[in-house]
Amino acid sequence: MFEALFLYPYRLFTRGEFLFASGWPAWVLLLLMLIAIAGTGYWVWRHHGGNFAGRRWIAVAALQGLVLALLLFLLWRPALRVTALKPQQNVIAVVVDDSRSMQLKHEDLPRLEAARKLLSGGLLEKLRNRFQVRVYRAGNYLERIQGLDALTGAQPATHLGLSMKQMMEESASLPIGAVVLLTDGSDNSGGLEADTLSEIRRRKIPIHSVGFGAEKLARDLEVLDLDVPQRALSDSRIGAAITLRHFGLNGQKAKLALLADEKIVASREVILGAEGVPQTETLLFNAGLAGARNVRASVVKLEGEENPSNNAQSRLINVESLKPRILYIEGEPKWDFKFIRRALEGDRNLQLTTMLRTTQNKIYRQGVEDPKELEQGFPGKEEELFKFSGLIIGGIEASYFTPQQQAMIRNFADRRGGGVLFLAGRGAFADGGWAASPVAEMIPVTLADRKGTFHRDPATAELTGAGRDSLIVRIEEDAKKNEERWRKLPYLANYQETGPAKPGATVLVDALPTSKGRHPLFVTQRYGRGRVSVFASSGTWRWQMLQDVKDLSHEVFWQQTLRWLVTETPPQVSATPSKQLLLDDGQVEFRADVRDPAYKPLAGATVEARILGPGGAAAMLPLTPDSSQTGLFTARWDAPKSGNYVVEVLARNGKEEMGRDVFTLSRQDGIAENFHAGQNRQLLEGLSRQTGGNYYTPASAQALPDDIAYSEAGITTRETKDLWNMPALLLALFGAKAAEWLLRRRWGAV
Amino acid sequence: MVFNRNLRALIVVILLAGACLAFQRRGRLPFLDDEDEPEPYPADAGEKTEWVFARLRYNSYRQGAGMWGVRGSWSTDYPKAERHFAQGIRRLSRVHVRSVEEVVDLDTDKIFDYPWIYGVEVGHWDLSDSQAAKLREYLTRGGFLMVDDFHGSIEWEIFMRSMSRVFPDRPVVDIPNKDAIFHMLFDLDNRVQIPGIVMFYTGQTYEQDGVTEKWGGIYDEKGRIMVAMCHNMDLGDAWEHADMPQYPERYTSMAYRIGLNYIIYSMTH
Repeated sequence: MFEALFLYPYRLFTRGEFLFASGWPAWVLLLLMLIAIAGTGYWVWRHHGGNFAGRRWIAVAALQGLVLALLLFLLWRPALRVTALKPQQNVIAVVVDDSRSMQLKHEDLPRLEAARKLLSGGLLEKLRNRFQVRVYRAGNYLERIQGLDALTGAQPATHLGLSMKQMMEESASLPIGAVVLLTDGSDNSGGLEADTLSEIRRRKIPIHSVGFGAEKLARDLEVLDLDVPQRALSDSRIGAAITLRHFGLNGQKAKLALLADEKIVASREVILGAEGVPQTETLLFNAGLAGARNVRASVVKLEGEENPSNNAQSRLINVESLKPRILYIEGEPKWDFKFIRRALEGDRNLQLTTMLRTTQNKIYRQGVEDPKELEQGFPGKEEELFKFSGLIIGGIEASYFTPQQQAMIRNFADRRGGGVLFLAGRGAFADGGWAASPVAEMIPVTLADRKGTFHRDPATAELTGAGRDSLIVRIEEDAKKNEERWRKLPYLANYQETGPAKPGATVLVDALPTSKGRHPLFVTQRYGRGRVSVFASSGTWRWQMLQDVKDLSHEVFWQQTLRWLVTETPPQVSATPSKQLLLDDGQVEFRADVRDPAYKPLAGATVEARILGPGGAAAMLPLTPDSSQTGLFTARWDAPKSGNYVVEVLARNGKEEMGRDVFTLSRQDGIAENFHAGQNRQLLEGLSRQTGGNYYTPASAQALPDDIAYSEAGITTRETKDLWNMPALLLALFGAKAAEWLLRRRWGAV
Repeated sequence: MVFNRNLRALIVVILLAGACLAFQRRGRLPFLDDEDEPEPYPADAGEKTEWVFARLRYNSYRQGAGMWGVRGSWSTDYPKAERHFAQGIRRLSRVHVRSVEEVVDLDTDKIFDYPWIYGVEVGHWDLSDSQAAKLREYLTRGGFLMVDDFHGSIEWEIFMRSMSRVFPDRPVVDIPNKDAIFHMLFDLDNRVQIPGIVMFYTGQTYEQDGVTEKWGGIYDEKGRIMVAMCHNMDLGDAWEHADMPQYPERYTSMAYRIGLNYIIYSMTH
């Protein structure tokens, strides 16, 4: 229809350059048009104005003016200048996705079969009639093939970006006119890199994509993501957030299981929610003993599932045998002190060192490493305090600490990256003068500016919205049961009014005094490299004393809270990979943050990584200083094959060892291809749009040979195509005159 | 005639009741009893505090069950001992203490609000099975029991009849000197037997055949003391008579130190 009216396809108009072939200036045309319209208007008003009622003459004048303007426009010879490929002198690269996902169905045929049918059914021949055609297959890499029989659909991955990059490199000396990409868009590496895209655009090569496969499968359940911490303390309870998505399985029950080293450690039956909407389920499990742990989330295949190979995902967790130390200083004997200590006794991986002020001048120490430790009281040097990973400030006045110690408390979170927890008490928060101290800045609540905020009155604890989602306060694995459990906890023996939470802080639990009101009870926030939290009660001991001895609410709450406090506390040497999970591509960057004993960045260190790979293969890699940040050392590395790798990073300052850190990473080949198996039309449309090409469905791809001819890449010629003879313009002329005649008849002015 | 018979019966009942009461209170010196010298009620008695002296009320061995109404052995030294001791705790430590005591028993759950309890004259107690079970639950959850003022082998025997039903599988052991409980606030390696007021009349620091003091304890599976026993001693008297010139100061001081160590131990272990 478009071509019938405008002579040429729409795409030609989007690519071509409009011009007037007469060569006369456009401003003259514009001026003459204005004169014609104004003159016509004046003439109609002067000579026929009286024949029309009211202002009807204006419509007649406008139509006559339009006719004159259109005639003038045609006299100027409008035309379209386009760049077109020269026949038989250009190469068209036809790239067919040969990955495993192309074996999934496109309507009734496998996607690859549908692509083959499209090409052999005339598309390839039409292209060959006008261009030289080279056929490639894309998978892990790009490979030229001589015939369509070479397509097997056996490639374990699709790297469209890498394939296009390879294409650009190999065809640097070829007159590539366009790329035709037949794929489902199920790319495993995130599409094109910016430099490849920029090279394609520089060479003006359009990528025309033909998409295969339904955008969503009819019946499929997929494990979209498995989110677990990269590191965990041994024997700790950690959460795995498993994101599921399904199509066509609304309301069905699915069995979800979590396996650690192929042993089931948690499982649950889930009811599938709305179609296409990611649904996250959390399973808690024990990290077990130290070592690299392979964790796999899996859902049992449901009846009629089209793609069962996307029902599981794996991750690697580095379970560490560290025993982080927490220093707890308390201003006076209190029951919670004892019961927190007891709760931590059940945790083999946390070391609690306590300082209890029993009299004005006596400190009772427990959990010290030697009799001399903390003998002089709270640490006076950063090196002494920073040996700990967590710090608990109980009900003790701010004035107990010197200004230097107060600065150290702040630096403990900010620079050292430790966790600081403030507890309630007669000497805590505003009652202890903390509001006026420099430490107030790091406390996640705005402290009240008054005394008498500590109340020995009962209060219940209630989870907030954020608390319901948080794993820190998850006593029960199931979120709803957990909420119910919190609701049934005995009331706290006391609470403290702290003031409102600061912007950026998260309130996990509120305290509801039995009298009235609601106050933040458990608040957390990040501060610098570390974490800070407030627990505004010292009355959780009632959770222990008022419940059956088998009830572990109190123990679990404090163990999880204190583990949260220290789990992310970095060591002096902290190393991480840029990606822990390498899918089909081994490229990875190692980063090491190296600090001195006061946790100041250490620039002059010598840092190296020792890598242990599958089958015991070992490698050494030096890390070099990164100019972007003092104390940061980096190195790039390519994991050579699929499997798990353990990397130990060691840093020295001269001959003195600054520390070492271990992380794990995993390269998985051929796994990513199973996921996101629906056609990624968005990716293909974006790719074509960005390169000046078009997206086609197999049905609309018949127009491709004609469209492809107009390209600025390769060997081209410029053509000028007249527009004055467009049927649409002639129709407009006749239409205007016909409309004028009809109006005149209607108004009786013929 | 009928009137005379009733009158005689009434007189017999009164005489019997009087005899029972006298039997129950034998050996007690009337002039030392709080009822004759009542302790004034402190003005700050209503203060809400972290720690409260919780006195365990129990059935005495010679009492029938459910006879709380009759003042039994549990109330010995009440309330002067705890009120004196509370003042000492305030003076000598940072424990936030209420000036008056709380009486708790093993028939309600109120006991769980007081993680430290004191049982006196437990050589006369007689716990029912349900009370023994509740005490076991209390101690296992983290409660602490200090028992005091029971003497000699007979009272030990009676004490153990109930205690062995609380923890049939946990032995009573002598708490060694090196245990933290003797080194909390004060180092108490050189402890002495704390005598009761009866010392004034007998001239000796022990009662019955309890010549040697026993610092006994029952530990949990993690090596924490749950029950601390002051056998052949009477710390309650030492607290109660802290203001009595005749009672030797060295015993009162030692009793205060032991009590404080036990309290702070119970709040840290």
